[in-house]
Amino acid sequence: MRLEKCWFCSSTVYPGHGIQFVRNDAKIFRFCRSKCHKNFKMKRNPRKVKWTKAYRRLHGKDMTQDSTFEFERKRNRPERYDRNVAENTLRAIKTIDKIRMAREARHHAMRMKGKKTIEQKAAVKELEQSIHMVKAPLALQQEPSLTLPKIKVSVSQPLAEENRMEE
Amino acid sequence: MATRIQFENCCEVGVFSKLTNAYCLVAIGGSEHFYSAFEAELTDVIPVVKTSIAGTRIIGRLCAGNKKGLLLPHTTTDQELQHLRNSLPDHVVVQRIEERLSALGNCITCNDHVALAHPDLDKDTEEMIADVLGVEVFRQTIAGNILVGSFCAFSNRGGLVHPHTSIEDLDELSTLLQVPLVAGTVNRGSEVIAAGLTVNDWTAFCGSDTTATELSVIESVFKLREAQPNAIVDDMRKSLIDSYI
Repeated sequence: MRLEKCWFCSSTVYPGHGIQFVRNDAKIFRFCRSKCHKNFKMKRNPRKVKWTKAYRRLHGKDMTQDSTFEFERKRNRPERYDRNVAENTLRAIKTIDKIRMAREARHHAMRMKGKKTIEQKAAVKELEQSIHMVKAPLALQQEPSLTLPKIKVSVSQPLAEENRMEE
Repeated sequence: MATRIQFENCCEVGVFSKLTNAYCLVAIGGSEHFYSAFEAELTDVIPVVKTSIAGTRIIGRLCAGNKKGLLLPHTTTDQELQHLRNSLPDHVVVQRIEERLSALGNCITCNDHVALAHPDLDKDTEEMIADVLGVEVFRQTIAGNILVGSFCAFSNRGGLVHPHTSIEDLDELSTLLQVPLVAGTVNRGSEVIAAGLTVNDWTAFCGSDTTATELSVIESVFKLREAQPNAIVDDMRKSLIDSYI
């Protein structure tokens, strides 16, 4: 029993799920569900279909290169069974998963980093310019809470300027 | 010594077993009869391993190997791969290869020094064969047949090929492989030699349908009779006896 990856969306195919298609050139395509299978039959390219892992990796939405991915590679030359190695591997799988989750979260955070300030600025601008779509200008003048409060800023060197003007 | 055996009433023993100088692989049959035949001959000499490949019993035709290594198709499951790695001695390299032609036993035939390969094998596979099995690889056909692994069986001491191989082809192959070759049949005239016969340097197992003539040809070409004392005395008679009175 082996947990394979779906050819279209790259999710894991568990035993008892999905369809396996073998092409005439002996290439095997595994699909996790009929959604992926039908998309494949429609000849859609997974790199252009937004919800697949292939698209997300290609467009930098998800992590592409990481050392944690090396652990999941398929190996063709086995080593003799050693109980200690097997025990350590099982323990390591858990920690590696945790580390990979943390790295993916960090990648996501880095991607979303400037988002809040951009959203804030856009909101301020929209409030200034488009408030007339929400409330009539007459009502705005009468109710001060709908406009941004005017902040008094003290400016230094006003006397120097006045002196010059007088002279 | 050549032994006649059957796998569940089928004479194609080369399909259900793989015999090399370092190990022997046997398919899992309904009864222990087949396994016992190999065990009786080979127990303390080399490990006899019961296995399946890709969940099937046709292991002789799916894998290719010699004393240095064993090549398995990509359909081999991880559990089978691990089982083989645990059961075989450490100096045998067990390798699974990604290849379109997955019946490696039909595409590759080898002894410990030379291998013949199907003409359509990938370049990477050819390199893998040379690397894992430690052999020189030649892409050849036998009697116009591209499945070299089925129509010829050879060991380090001799070889048997498809009966319709022409004499020129036979000479050419003989020089390539550096072993004496004979065109013959097995299992009462079956042309698929490797399916009916499995051989290493000191034993051979063939189907129970093999006639006495075929058996004597096999024993002479693979030099399996030499272990017997009569043969040794015959060879050495000239040097042992000074003069006849």
